[in-house]
Amino acid sequence: MKKTILTVDDSRTMREMLKATLLGAGYEVMQAEDGVHGLEVLEGAMPDVILTDINMPRMDGFGFIEGVRRDSRYRSVPILVLTTEGEPEKKDRARRAGATGWIVKPFDPEKLINAIRRLAA
Amino acid sequence: MDTMAAIKQTFFQECEEQLVELESGLLALEDGTSEPDTINAVFRAVHSIKGGAGAFGLEQLVRFAHAFETALDLVRGGKLTATRAILKTMLSAADVLADLVRITREDGVADDAEITRMVQQLEAISHGGAAAAGSQPADAEPADDLDFVPIQISLADLIGAGPSGTRSFKIRFEPKTGFYARANEPLVMLREISRLGAMRVTCDQTRLPSLTELDPEGAYLAWEIHLDTESDESALRDIFEFVEFDCDISIEEKQVEADFDTDAFAQLMSLASGQTPPMAQPLEPRTEQIAAEIASRNESETANRKSDANKGFNQAGATIRVDLERVERLIDLVGELVINQAMLSQRVAEARIARSSALAMGLDELEQLSREIQDSVMAIRAQPVKPIFQRMSRVVREAADMTGKSVTLHCDGDSTEVDKTVIERLTDPLTHMIRNAIDHGIEKPEVRLAAGKPESGHIRLAAMHRSGRVVIEVSDDGGGINRERVRSAAIAKGLIEPEAQLSDEEIDNLIFLPGFSTAATVTDMSGRGVGMDVVKRSIQALGGRISIASTPGRGSTFVMSLPLTLAVLDGMIVSVADETLIVPLTAIVETLKPSTGDIYHMGGDSRVIRIRDTFVPLIDIGHVLGYRNKLADPQNCVVVLIDLEGHARRALLVDTIQGQRQVVIKSLEANYRRVDGIAAATILGDGRVALILDVDAVVENANGKAASSASESLDLDHDTHARAPQRAHDFATELEPEPVE
Amino acid sequence: MSTKMRKPEVLKLAENLDITEATPLIGELLKHRGADIKIDASSVKKMGGQCLQALLCASATWTLDGTHIEIITPSDDFLQCVEAYGLHLSHFSSQEPAL
Repeated sequence: MKKTILTVDDSRTMREMLKATLLGAGYEVMQAEDGVHGLEVLEGAMPDVILTDINMPRMDGFGFIEGVRRDSRYRSVPILVLTTEGEPEKKDRARRAGATGWIVKPFDPEKLINAIRRLAA
Repeated sequence: MDTMAAIKQTFFQECEEQLVELESGLLALEDGTSEPDTINAVFRAVHSIKGGAGAFGLEQLVRFAHAFETALDLVRGGKLTATRAILKTMLSAADVLADLVRITREDGVADDAEITRMVQQLEAISHGGAAAAGSQPADAEPADDLDFVPIQISLADLIGAGPSGTRSFKIRFEPKTGFYARANEPLVMLREISRLGAMRVTCDQTRLPSLTELDPEGAYLAWEIHLDTESDESALRDIFEFVEFDCDISIEEKQVEADFDTDAFAQLMSLASGQTPPMAQPLEPRTEQIAAEIASRNESETANRKSDANKGFNQAGATIRVDLERVERLIDLVGELVINQAMLSQRVAEARIARSSALAMGLDELEQLSREIQDSVMAIRAQPVKPIFQRMSRVVREAADMTGKSVTLHCDGDSTEVDKTVIERLTDPLTHMIRNAIDHGIEKPEVRLAAGKPESGHIRLAAMHRSGRVVIEVSDDGGGINRERVRSAAIAKGLIEPEAQLSDEEIDNLIFLPGFSTAATVTDMSGRGVGMDVVKRSIQALGGRISIASTPGRGSTFVMSLPLTLAVLDGMIVSVADETLIVPLTAIVETLKPSTGDIYHMGGDSRVIRIRDTFVPLIDIGHVLGYRNKLADPQNCVVVLIDLEGHARRALLVDTIQGQRQVVIKSLEANYRRVDGIAAATILGDGRVALILDVDAVVENANGKAASSASESLDLDHDTHARAPQRAHDFATELEPEPVE
Repeated sequence: MSTKMRKPEVLKLAENLDITEATPLIGELLKHRGADIKIDASSVKKMGGQCLQALLCASATWTLDGTHIEIITPSDDFLQCVEAYGLHLSHFSSQEPAL
């Protein structure tokens, strides 16, 4: 069965890049445009890995991660943070919110797929 | 790679949207908004551009966006107050960013000096903010600058790049509770390590309590791994990069030569470095209970979210993004459909089928439907004028800076929708009109104050729909047109006779004449060689009209009336020397049958016709377009009186008038090549191709011919120029029953 | 907590033994405390660290209790997991006191 990845990013460019990369690697892709949308899309779905941006309108990545982790159904879903921001305090905040990992944008497709592959294994 | 090119296209589209967002946000901040949403949106806009630019390796863009973002982040975080001066710099930075995006899109190279200057200004702002906040040292920032563009190294590269020869590592890996809480799994780590080489794993169970004491989500196991690998330590560290705070890791390289107990050494090392001893206190012992509590409390929230989700999906479905090419193809096809339907109707008419027959009635319905489809399809390409209006705020800023005047811009009706193709061609005329208004209309602050006006000049841009057309107004509260100066300039340039009696409106309209410029000194802006005649010509090229109303001391208003779309045109079908031509209806004032007595020969091929009390140059279309060598006999012809830019008039001589109808415009340039005097082509109901006349070009051609053959006709030409406007204006008001102001 | 000994009871493991399975698994195991038990690992596809430690803990507890515990019909995935964790199937069985 194909693994499903949920990506949450407000940038259409990023969404398209992620989609192209993930589809190319044989994953099913679900996409959302911000944290609120992400939680909506998550309803009734069970992605194998979640990729999320931090800086988004309505609900940012921290809020989204906390929201996902609050829901017992999604406690074991790995969440990778994908963001341009690399400051340690932001990393730490995402980690405390419940993020599994961190990938700095612009992402190296190969590295991203490697990370997803091992998390979705 | 095709996908990448498409995504890059998306990126630039998104940039445009972000730039609009950025500018309107900054302007809102300038207006004193303190909404946190505004600064967040502004920050996000730049942040998003940076992110995308990074993905495409657009370094200049990344560098600039980063400097900008850093400054915005300080404002966002409350470490920096956005003063007027700072906002002004940021608006300029937004302009530079817009330029940079455009240049990058066109694969150009931006002026690095300008970018660097702006980056320095932004950094100065950031440093000021950082220093004021007393946070991190100000000069720490630039050093980080290049840091965030990751060097793209794949794992394979790392392995390949490592020093050759096998190395042995001993790794101890001990997850903490948080490791599992964040959905990490030891197996993931172990598998990754195994990819680096040959490994032996042992599981350390010594800390396991009895089952009754076991915290289901606690962390009690540890692993020891012996790895023989060709990779170096950094490859190992990479695996644990995400989880360094959530587990204890020790990595020791076993020195093959050194013959001492490395395990003991490792233990010593870990003790020395203050590593958590075995039997670590379980962190967050009650996580599970709290989580369960929250989870149960969330059940109801989840239910709520579910209904919200549906709403969200509906909203998301409200718009879709379609490739413009597809829309254009659709518009084209619908154009074909309309033509086809017209042809069918004509065939039915020719077959003498009764209008009341079911067939004819069905055709009527088809015509109705085709029209509706056409309108709906046109609406797809319609876009609000907002982006272009917003672009004008930059024009205002720059022009105000350049002239040392203070000017504010106010926009009304920016949600008014116009066909995309029309919008695209509005930028230049609008830019020029606004520059003109600031350069020549708005007075210097001291002059304004002396005249009892507010120090700051005011420009208003307004768009509205009016009887199937779009009306755009540009008004200023400046000094109005200096009629004395316009008049004397026109005389000096030989555009009017010194003794010509002109009404105020006629004088105002002189500024649309080619070659007219009132600027006493060539300023930075008016030195660009674009006059109002060019503006008028480009508006006319869009099938639009432009007029001006001015009150001395109170300001001027330019009114442009434009078609909603460039895809269809209302035209008059005429025959000239057995050819079928279309004259755009917007240009036509009236048609009349000339009597021989009204025609005067001016020498050479030029003739004029007297229409009531005015002499109007007569243009023989067939002759100008080269359909026939001899001039047509006006007695066998019809005169179509047309209104040119600048309200000058010409009488076009055609053989017969066939009728009026809406035609679908087919570009000649796209399908054939540009033809002088012809704007485009169309296909008529009977399948014939008809050319759409470019009225201004035809007149220009005729002028050329007349000038070479009879110089005296020029004088008269100018005379009619000067006399015509009053009547033209009357007609214009007849056409547009609602007064413009 | 019944003491219907004699016949070893069978506990079937879930497919995906992730963090959310740890609590129910321990609950199930505790229900069988004091009885001989066979753990059916035939449908296991994934086993996370926390279910792993629960099973390891059970085998230690059963050994101390003097009751019997063992894995039956392990799936390939289960065996692979066990190996990757650096363990053997015997780690999941109660150790008979050496005589």
